[in-house]
Amino acid sequence: MSSFTAEVYQNEYLPLGGAEVNAIVTVTSPGGAARAGPAAGAGAGRPPDAAEIIIIDTSGSMDVPKGKIKAAREATSVAIDCIRDGVAFGVIAGTDVARMVYPDHGGLQLASDVTRNAAKAAVAGLQAGGGTAIGSWLTVARHMLGTRAQDRVCHAILLTDGENQSESAEELDRVLDTCEGHFQCDCRGVGSDWEVSELRRVASKLLGTVDIIADPADMASDFRAMIETAMGKATRSVSLRLWTPQGATVAFVRQVAPTIEDLTERAAAVDARTVEYPTGTWGSESRDYHLCIDAAPREVGDEMLVGRLSLVEGNKVLGQALIKAIWTDDQQLSTRINREVAHYTGQAELADVIQDGLEARKAGDEATATVKLGRAVQLASESGNDGTMKLLQAVVEVDDPATGTVRLKREVADVDEMALDTRSTKTVRTGPGGA
Amino acid sequence: MTVVCPSGHVSATADYCDQCGALIAVPATPQPTEVLSVIEEVDTSPAARQKPCPTCGAQRSGDDRYCEGCGYDFLAPPANSAVAAPATVTWEALAIADRRQFERHENRGIAFPTDSAERSFALTQAEVRIGRSRGRAGETVPEIDLGGAAADPGVSHLHAVLQRQDDGCYALRDLGSTNGTMVNDDPRPISPDVLVPLADRDRIRVGAWTTIMLRKR
Repeated sequence: MSSFTAEVYQNEYLPLGGAEVNAIVTVTSPGGAARAGPAAGAGAGRPPDAAEIIIIDTSGSMDVPKGKIKAAREATSVAIDCIRDGVAFGVIAGTDVARMVYPDHGGLQLASDVTRNAAKAAVAGLQAGGGTAIGSWLTVARHMLGTRAQDRVCHAILLTDGENQSESAEELDRVLDTCEGHFQCDCRGVGSDWEVSELRRVASKLLGTVDIIADPADMASDFRAMIETAMGKATRSVSLRLWTPQGATVAFVRQVAPTIEDLTERAAAVDARTVEYPTGTWGSESRDYHLCIDAAPREVGDEMLVGRLSLVEGNKVLGQALIKAIWTDDQQLSTRINREVAHYTGQAELADVIQDGLEARKAGDEATATVKLGRAVQLASESGNDGTMKLLQAVVEVDDPATGTVRLKREVADVDEMALDTRSTKTVRTGPGGA
Repeated sequence: MTVVCPSGHVSATADYCDQCGALIAVPATPQPTEVLSVIEEVDTSPAARQKPCPTCGAQRSGDDRYCEGCGYDFLAPPANSAVAAPATVTWEALAIADRRQFERHENRGIAFPTDSAERSFALTQAEVRIGRSRGRAGETVPEIDLGGAAADPGVSHLHAVLQRQDDGCYALRDLGSTNGTMVNDDPRPISPDVLVPLADRDRIRVGAWTTIMLRKR
């Protein structure tokens, strides 16, 4: 039977009266090939049923520059080719309304050579013109997926190049509430006229990724990668189920690798002491979570369990991790900070200071922006987060990474700033042996 | 299975209390004392390749670190491994089929062995396990093996362990055996997972008829 592994990194020793327990849990899924238990029912050894929807922005702005709509058409065709036989799929063109491009009516079609070719022919005819109403696109996607969302892996790709100007933010939030749990959605913004926070809100709520495609020429490879990842998903929706003892409260639960994603507010109560956090579907991959739990302090020498973290698919437990606390009067033990906890605390701060720094820069507060982005450079350099460091260097001149001494660049390309904002949540893992 | 935690909560989980999180160290179910029922561990291949819990004998579930039965940590390093031996004193364990012990119990369907040769085991290691091998490929064979031709059916696969102490003497620890371990003439079995120091000529009684005498040489 396929099982997930969950490794815990923590300093379980607390000083007398100490309450805050921090732990990093690395969860690894065995992925498709290893998954062949009889518990999977008739589909033993096969991936679960899947559905895929591609949502392409065809608003008027996609015509400027001319190549954008063309690149989007090509990327969509590439993506269609990557859809596995038998997967239900569809394509939606979005403007101020959503139009079903393929199939042009009814539900989804099962992928085969015939249907893939028909879909590509329909996509080839797409023209740009109209507004942008992301909520209406998602609503149509949800209707196309129908009522079978629970028993198959449903995934969507959403591509846009502009702000959601044809509907209100409240309208989009309302739609996101109705779509949550029905399908996962990876969002991509092309060019620099879209709103990072808006797309991040969609991706975050729908358990997907968000990224910028600065150059339309990169769209096809990015689409291919997204579909291949989606096709590699071997589980239905998996949740983190967290039990905590009497008197304990969960301060926060956040995913910290591969990206930072705060899950705290997503807790759904299972019983008096247990909550669940949805994490979407899993392929062959590994994710890290940072849990912070406030426990009721006990006597020196007492050991207690402050968290039992289970990975559940429906009611099937795929793996488990135990988070413990031992109270001690040995200060050497209790003051030690676990390396993984320290590392990810730094990565979370890194994402925060980047977003705060860019916000301040936009508002014209250069002093704050310099301090925040300087701290970001320092954190990125300390933790070896080279990807983020490179993005930061497009926005600031780095004088000394060790002290975080930077100067804001006068001329910054919009796409560079947006790339830094979008990817600020991307983290790196601790290296073997540590720094 | 439910257990009771040190604070008195009834817990469905046996490692830590599912109410207050307190560590539950000792298995709450007492070992049977008088009735000797021989339980053959069920071979559920390929799971049989997994070692059962040395404390309570429960089958390990997958790669779970903690035993579902008693919370034993499968990844914990074995106690007292690689302790330098004081070379002067050597100990031996003499296992015999003891008719007096055999007749203390009601033994349904078990015959006292006709071929009851003494078996002597030199205690050379810091940890000497007592148990009964079943002649299966890949299984752990205990150092004091009460299996084989004249196997004692009341001995668990991994029944108990002798651990050398700092003074060079051995102490006995029951590994949560099915039928318990008695010392000398005390009819009550020793508590599982508790070290009982032994002296020269102490007798360990296990299974349907086996008495193991510890001797200094």
